[in-house]
Amino acid sequence: MNERAPIVFVVDDDPSVRRSIKRLIGSVGLQVELFGSAQEFLLSKRPDAPSCLVLDIRLPGISGLDFQHKLAEANIHIPIIFITAHGDIPMTVRAMKAGAVEFLTKPFREQDLLDAIQLALERDRARRQGDAEIAVLRERFESLTPREREVLPWVVSGLLSKQIADAIGTSEASVKVHRSQLMRKMAADSVADLVRMAEKMGIPIPKKP
Amino acid sequence: MISGNAALTGSYDLPQVALSVLIAISASYAALDLAGRVTATRGRAQLTWLIGGSAAMGIGIWAMHYIGMLAFRLPVPVEYDWPTALLSLLVGILCSAFALVVVSRRRMGLTYALIGSAMMGCGIAALHYIAMAAMRLPAECRFDFRLVALSVVLAVVFSFASLWLAFYFRDEPQNSAWRKLGSALVMGVATSAMHYTGMAAATFIPAAPALDQSHAVSISSLGTLGIAAATLQVLGLAVLSSLVDRRFDAQGLELALTETRLELAHVARIATMGELTASIAHEINQPLTAVVNNGNFALRQVASGAPNLEELREAIAEIVNDGTRASAVISRIRALLQKGAPDRVELDINEVIQEVTILVRHEATLSGVSVRLDLAADLPRVLGDRVQLQQVLINLVINGIEAMRTLTDRPRELLVKSAKNADAVLIQVQDSGKGLDPEQVGRIFEPFFTTKPQGIGMGLSISRSIIESHGGRLWTVPGSSGALFQFTLPTDGNSVS
Repeated sequence: MNERAPIVFVVDDDPSVRRSIKRLIGSVGLQVELFGSAQEFLLSKRPDAPSCLVLDIRLPGISGLDFQHKLAEANIHIPIIFITAHGDIPMTVRAMKAGAVEFLTKPFREQDLLDAIQLALERDRARRQGDAEIAVLRERFESLTPREREVLPWVVSGLLSKQIADAIGTSEASVKVHRSQLMRKMAADSVADLVRMAEKMGIPIPKKP
Repeated sequence: MISGNAALTGSYDLPQVALSVLIAISASYAALDLAGRVTATRGRAQLTWLIGGSAAMGIGIWAMHYIGMLAFRLPVPVEYDWPTALLSLLVGILCSAFALVVVSRRRMGLTYALIGSAMMGCGIAALHYIAMAAMRLPAECRFDFRLVALSVVLAVVFSFASLWLAFYFRDEPQNSAWRKLGSALVMGVATSAMHYTGMAAATFIPAAPALDQSHAVSISSLGTLGIAAATLQVLGLAVLSSLVDRRFDAQGLELALTETRLELAHVARIATMGELTASIAHEINQPLTAVVNNGNFALRQVASGAPNLEELREAIAEIVNDGTRASAVISRIRALLQKGAPDRVELDINEVIQEVTILVRHEATLSGVSVRLDLAADLPRVLGDRVQLQQVLINLVINGIEAMRTLTDRPRELLVKSAKNADAVLIQVQDSGKGLDPEQVGRIFEPFFTTKPQGIGMGLSISRSIIESHGGRLWTVPGSSGALFQFTLPTDGNSVS
């Protein structure tokens, strides 16, 4: 997989805080992009690279917590590190429950922020990798014929070719052909491998009759 | 020697009668005046006023009676027994002290007034008849008891009226000098009526002097004048000192009131600051965050051995800026929390509004309120106390923010506007909430009136007194969408009190 340079987005309405964070993160060799508001961040064109969001709780127009919720709704799964100049426990709990990586109180220790950023980027990398894998699998799945797609779940459920033939009302020989075709197209080494792929793609597996 | 049983015919010296009435009126005026002092003062001062006041009044009443008696001319030489005369003076002073104590009580019921006036009336009658008993003359004094009874009744009735009047004037209502004088006139005439009725009750039958003559002294016309002059002087002094004392009292009261108002405003400010802790922490932590970050960056640069000097310089410059910014926030808050006499300086009200906006920014964001400023350019400067005006603005803005907390059907917006308005600047604070309850509008500026569960109800009443002390006005404008509070501040320095 061609890994692009990771990038850290910072949303804080205080320009001097923003700049200082950029300097700090920049000094460890990470790329940083700054935004003054949630809106600016949403409207920006974000490069396709592992990334994380350093988000101030208090933002003009919308609170950081509400913005976190909004991102999740919009299916944007960027890991978030919250920073706040005045946080309380309920706020922290809400942020962490909603999947935040870290919740830092300003002024924070630089190591805490840098560690959190590393962790967040790790997570995003993993997520992106997972996403990329699924995308490949989906592509392979799309290349199957309708009959092969019909046979696949039965193979995954562990039925023998003869049983599959009975279940879908065809001959054992043609099931065997479909079976070897779909194993090849999906690039599955074994039935166990195929089971793992089906799980990743979220294909429902029928019960044995 | 004058023959047998015919009564002596007396005549009155009219100027002396007039003098006695004048003294009666003066004594009455002093009584009304002193009642106020005895009531208004406490402790030692009260005791001093009571003693001094009753002495002056007693001398007044006593002098009135003696001059009234001296005005009565008999065809025989009349002398006076001075110990008896002194006794009558003592009765007069005690009587006055009693009267002052009665009227300075917290409340005066009818029963109390009746008992008081009965005792006082009897006291004055006693003074009168003791005074007459001091007369030493070659005649026998006989009394017409109906007239004596009438004089006692008159004394009681007059005392009753005096007590009520004194009770009324004791609270020292403003501009009451004329009414006081009128009342004194009535009281003085009534006292004289009592005295001359008492005199009329006596008939003098020539006889050998029956009483002890050893302490008798005669009083010349000059002596009479002397008594009158001294008495009027004493009464005048009493009234004058009461006047001076009242002035000082009024000044002290004004001072105490101003002090209390300042104290109250200070307490309210501290309470407001308490509500704003989140905002304050935020405003200080923001620059501190930048300082810490930039400091860490600088350390890293230095540790790297090959620092980028330009970047290092920028970071350090920002550290200096942010440090200054944090310290400005702290001094602003310190100023708000400090106690101190108001300090009138020329200031730009827009600047004050902007400073307040920074302090309440966080509060607004937490409540999902957007604060919009619409500030007129080139506003004339106003003369005012920065801290007090900030307090008023914080109050109005926080009220607006809190009023919109439950708002869900429209955006929560707070508009702060400044504009020029004739020879004043007009500042408006408007929220987009549901507005003021028409039933409450009339009461919101009253102390201790609040619509907030945790409010103490002092904010608006203090704000109004602050604006009024600046020579401006603070009021609400009905019929606007949401609550609209506005105040004016005069731009002409002369009209600022």
